[in-house]
Amino acid sequence: MNATQFLTIFISAVFIYNVILSRFLGLCSFVAISKETKPALAMSLSVMFVTTMASIITWFIYRFLLIPFGLTYLRTISFILVIATFVQFVEMVIKKISPPMYRFFGIYLPLITVNCAVLGVAVLNVDMFFVNGKAVPGSFYYSLFQGICVGLGYTLAMLLMSGIRERLDLCNVPEAVKDFPLAFIIASIMSLSFLGFNGFRF
Amino acid sequence: MRNRFIVSVSPHLHKDESVSKIMWMVVLSLIPAGIAGVFIFGVSAFWVIILGVISALATEATLQRLTKRKITILDGSAVLTGLLLAYNLPPHVPFWLPIVGSCFAIAIGKQVFGGLGQNIFNPALVGRVFLMASWPKYMTTFLKPFDAVTSATPLALLKEGKLIGNISYLDLFLGKRGGCIGEVCILALLLGALFLLIRGYISWHIPITYIFTVGLFTYIFGAKGLLTPLEISTAQSGIAKFLTGLSGNWLFYILSGGLILGAFFMATDYVTSPLTRKGQIVFGIGCGLITAIIRLWGGYPEGVSYAILMMNAATPIIDRYTKNRIYGTK
Amino acid sequence: MKKFFSEFLRGIIKENPTFVLVLGLCPTLAVSISVINGIGMGIAATFVLLGSNIIIAMLKNIIPDRVRIPCYIVVIATFVTINEMVMKAYSPALNRALGIYVPLIVVNCIVLGRAEAYASKNSVVNSLFDGLGMGVGFTLALILISAIREFLGAGTLLGHTMIKGFQPAFVLSMPSGALLVIGLLLGFFNVLKSKKE
Repeated sequence: MNATQFLTIFISAVFIYNVILSRFLGLCSFVAISKETKPALAMSLSVMFVTTMASIITWFIYRFLLIPFGLTYLRTISFILVIATFVQFVEMVIKKISPPMYRFFGIYLPLITVNCAVLGVAVLNVDMFFVNGKAVPGSFYYSLFQGICVGLGYTLAMLLMSGIRERLDLCNVPEAVKDFPLAFIIASIMSLSFLGFNGFRF
Repeated sequence: MRNRFIVSVSPHLHKDESVSKIMWMVVLSLIPAGIAGVFIFGVSAFWVIILGVISALATEATLQRLTKRKITILDGSAVLTGLLLAYNLPPHVPFWLPIVGSCFAIAIGKQVFGGLGQNIFNPALVGRVFLMASWPKYMTTFLKPFDAVTSATPLALLKEGKLIGNISYLDLFLGKRGGCIGEVCILALLLGALFLLIRGYISWHIPITYIFTVGLFTYIFGAKGLLTPLEISTAQSGIAKFLTGLSGNWLFYILSGGLILGAFFMATDYVTSPLTRKGQIVFGIGCGLITAIIRLWGGYPEGVSYAILMMNAATPIIDRYTKNRIYGTK
Repeated sequence: MKKFFSEFLRGIIKENPTFVLVLGLCPTLAVSISVINGIGMGIAATFVLLGSNIIIAMLKNIIPDRVRIPCYIVVIATFVTINEMVMKAYSPALNRALGIYVPLIVVNCIVLGRAEAYASKNSVVNSLFDGLGMGVGFTLALILISAIREFLGAGTLLGHTMIKGFQPAFVLSMPSGALLVIGLLLGFFNVLKSKKE
């Protein structure tokens, strides 16, 4: 376990292989919830919480359940069930704490379950930190950290997008592209600019 | 501060003519670089520039007509976009490349946001990045200046780990190297930049912090002793010995690629960069860091376009958190 | 019957999952590179959507609210597995082309989205038509997007080169290009809609 590995994970997950702008996971909520900064940040925090906890739980399941019993092919379905349960829990908490926020999120809160970013980071952890069915030294801490960093990367993209869309709210954009079309075009340009990080080698 | 034009963008109201004047002044300041480019690379460079500018004007006029908005092609901003895009292209690209690029730059980089003052990203760079992703082969084939032999840019050679060969700092400065039309002749670019700085059309904050950050970063992490033949060259011996003795060859990094063009003419675009001085410094540092990181460790040899676009995206957030204190309040 | 038909139509135009509800983007971006893949994915997703909508509508009164999402997932995953096995058996080439996105239908926002928003609250027959409509709407959207992307991004349609000497724009084969195409299509549809009014 060394410090440079943590640094690499941080820079990769947040910038170079940003989960939304480079890996294109989690786009549904990205385009839908990024209109204003406050809800965007709230969604980002929820997603970050879920990715972190999902990383922890799925790590344990993989390490102590799937590998010993040779059930690694059940990876996808077991991971998704864990995530689904967890999101249900988050949903109940938000409903209790802030009903207006809960109503605002609408369908997109339970959709964190199928937010490709969450399943994506769980699968990524397993691919990166397990070799030949054995956990790499420090694997748990790397996975946990990567879960946090993917959440941070998601937050970064949401923050940028919501800042842009809030600014555009003050301008008179052509009627035809107001809201969603422009959001897609902005996402397209943002991801084009993140292409600059392609082929990274430390 | 004499002629300091208000660094402030919509939704403020402003007289069209002052924005227009700024645009035309920037166009004016870019002319030396264009002349140098044509001189160095030949007549095809001239055609690229002309096609780029005309396509930009045509696209803007057409789109404004279709959306029933006022036609503003004479305000100089479309000309500027077309010019900057052309300057970012290799000199011998097929004729349709600058046309498609300019159309895309104006349509998607500017008009779709509602026109001048409302775009988030620098339109010329949007066009360039689009072209780069669509036709990478054409965008990375460079010809040797004054020659008809294909040659890579110094940064590209560096990225592939090849020796740079017979290039001196003077070559880099004057533009005797492979590269895009408007980026190679540093001398011409600096002349234009000086004009803009003296007349107050741009401020030093962004370009200087940008360039300084790149220099500092490459000094710490960059490749050393890149121009080793220089050590033997007597004309430059004093500077060369001094520079190659230190860690990273920052002067090389600053003079090569599109950094000077980007830092003075594209990163400084009012619409797409922060309003406050503090914000501008953050912007410059951010651009510098990303550019340096891509140059040193990324897959592409040059990162200026990507860096500026990424920081363009961050500008609304930067503006939000570096708001000037309103006089009299806490 | 008319009511059922309007439910069906709703999924195609008024509440098209891709263009209006903005769901199911991840596979759309990845799969819409060629028309064949678009059609294949559309059909597969429609099958899963139909199956899960029907079953969930049937079970909606039995599933406890607190654990409804995991239950939906189990139902959906079952159909996804069936679909995967059928594809592997009868169209292995398509299965390989769609790759990881076949099992990832389980996380396709459209399927879970409709389960949560519709099938859990409506009758079986309505849910059937809703699923069918959404599936067809998704497929049509995929075909439209992939036709544009394949033609401009690779110069082919259904695998056949269309114009000789045409230099395709690679960016359209990338997700950035897909986002651009979707954004422009949405804008275009908006223009059409406003012209109608």
